Amino acid sequence: MEKVIKRKSKYNKAESRAAYICMLPSVIGLVCITYLPMIASFALSLFSWNGLGNMKFIGFDNYVKLFTNDSKFYGSLLSTLKYAGLSVLGCMIFSLIVAMLLNRKIPARGFFRGVFYLPYVLPAMAVYLGWKWLFDYNYGFLNYVITMAGGNRIKFLDDSLMVTPSLALIAVWLSGNLIVIFLAGLQNVPRVYHEAAEVDGANGFHRLIHITIPCMTPIIFYNLLMSLVTNLQVITPALSLTKGGPGTGSYYMCYMLYNKAFNSHQYGYGSAIAVILFILIAIFTAILFSTSNGWIFYEGDDKE
Amino acid sequence: MIAGIERRGRSRARSGKRREKIWNVTCFILLVLLAVIVMFPIYWIFRSSLMSNAELYAYPPAFTPPAWRWENYSATLQSFDYWHFLGNTMKVLVPSVIGAVITATMGGYAFARLRFRGKKFLFTLCVGSMLLPSMVTLVPLFVMWAKIGLVNTYWPLILPHFCGGGAFNIFLIRQFIKTVPRELDEAATIDGCGYFRILVFIIVPAIKSAMIVVGLLKFIEMWNDLLQQVTYITRRDRYTLTLGLNIFKGSFNDDWSSIMCATCLSFIPGIVFYLIGQRYFVEGIVMTGMKN
Repeated sequence: MEKVIKRKSKYNKAESRAAYICMLPSVIGLVCITYLPMIASFALSLFSWNGLGNMKFIGFDNYVKLFTNDSKFYGSLLSTLKYAGLSVLGCMIFSLIVAMLLNRKIPARGFFRGVFYLPYVLPAMAVYLGWKWLFDYNYGFLNYVITMAGGNRIKFLDDSLMVTPSLALIAVWLSGNLIVIFLAGLQNVPRVYHEAAEVDGANGFHRLIHITIPCMTPIIFYNLLMSLVTNLQVITPALSLTKGGPGTGSYYMCYMLYNKAFNSHQYGYGSAIAVILFILIAIFTAILFSTSNGWIFYEGDDKE
Repeated sequence: MIAGIERRGRSRARSGKRREKIWNVTCFILLVLLAVIVMFPIYWIFRSSLMSNAELYAYPPAFTPPAWRWENYSATLQSFDYWHFLGNTMKVLVPSVIGAVITATMGGYAFARLRFRGKKFLFTLCVGSMLLPSMVTLVPLFVMWAKIGLVNTYWPLILPHFCGGGAFNIFLIRQFIKTVPRELDEAATIDGCGYFRILVFIIVPAIKSAMIVVGLLKFIEMWNDLLQQVTYITRRDRYTLTLGLNIFKGSFNDDWSSIMCATCLSFIPGIVFYLIGQRYFVEGIVMTGMKN
């Protein structure tokens, strides 16, 4: 009897109804555009299907073909890892440095912050087009600078070794949102720590290593995780500029997925690539989380 | 003796100050340098849009346009259907942003304030969806929209944003609602307000800025999107700005002057929105970073 009353008092009927109505759109979204399609992707990867005819169940054949009989798959995997590695590293270092510079007492800080953030609000397609012109072999600005400095012209986007670093450079240029997040984190580092260290005679470099960086580790972790997940899913530059080439230089996994599914109408095969990508991202996320206890410093955490 | 120590201490402090000053100036110069480097591509694109192709192919390249050829823009507007594409983009953007703001606010309100069965479970589902790569859903979603017969309409681009606007935005709103004092709700309840009236008349006015932030973040997200638009829109008259630019580049292969004009034209709306909402943009990014 008591139990019944207790339960009744826990969930008020009108409140529950209001909550379910409020949650309805989100629940539909979670079910219909996130979790069900996710499951469908796993299921579809076991079929051979061109989108129109009958679906044929083929078990793990798509995966077997991918790993043993697709000349482009390993190239694609490698390009994806290369792009993600370069752009995550580049973005993190660049934006952390800029954020630390912005965190000093400087005139017109708002203006500078705006400058570094601006590339991020430009439409991606236009950004890549503009950079294509800067990367142009004969008339591009970058090659002009390189030849002025006495170097040889670089085929930025038409060289299978250069294309990924070049695209990663654009990613670094676009990393304004990371800068702003880092800046917010830096402003939250307690001043007292710095003052105490200064009294103890620590110089700027010591304070950076022993105070700023440790206090920033939770935000570094967040940015690292988010940019890794985003950059492993890179597709826009391949879609807008390079079409995966040259060779498999920018044939990133998402582009391969798109290409197989929508250009060759191999929906099952495309889904298999999606599943591999999912597993890849899951592995990286798991690695990051498992190492996080070792290097993330939480304020008020007593253990070393 | 004591005076000597004091003097020495003072002079050391002075030299430390001088060193700090030099360091400050160095950092500032470095910052200005980086800012110039970051701005330079945009300037270069803009300067290229004001030059003829012959001038663009000259060596060495001119750092400022020899003549400011604004007529390039009117010429480009003849072949680049800018206003039509921009209109189409807005047809997708405006409803999506509104839908995301409304449904994220509702979801955030339920998570922040209401008690209901299954809340923990839904919360876990939401957190999980943030870590799932969205690319994995691409093919099944396309198949779904194709089955319903909505490919080549804007619905596949708009409707998903009416479903809570993404877990991230729901959490953002939830964090904000948690900062609104509960006493306000309670007072309103005593006055006879239902849960929805509390949401509309108490919560919404209190978290207006967070809602603007969600709207702006949604705006950037969609503004930057190419994949969804390429996947669902293939009819030329339905092209958005991004798709229009993509096709324009294809048909004007080496006419860099025109391509740069079209590029600059597509920069403009983003820059305008950014300048209007700059305060909120920055605040919003800050809030998203502070979330954990």
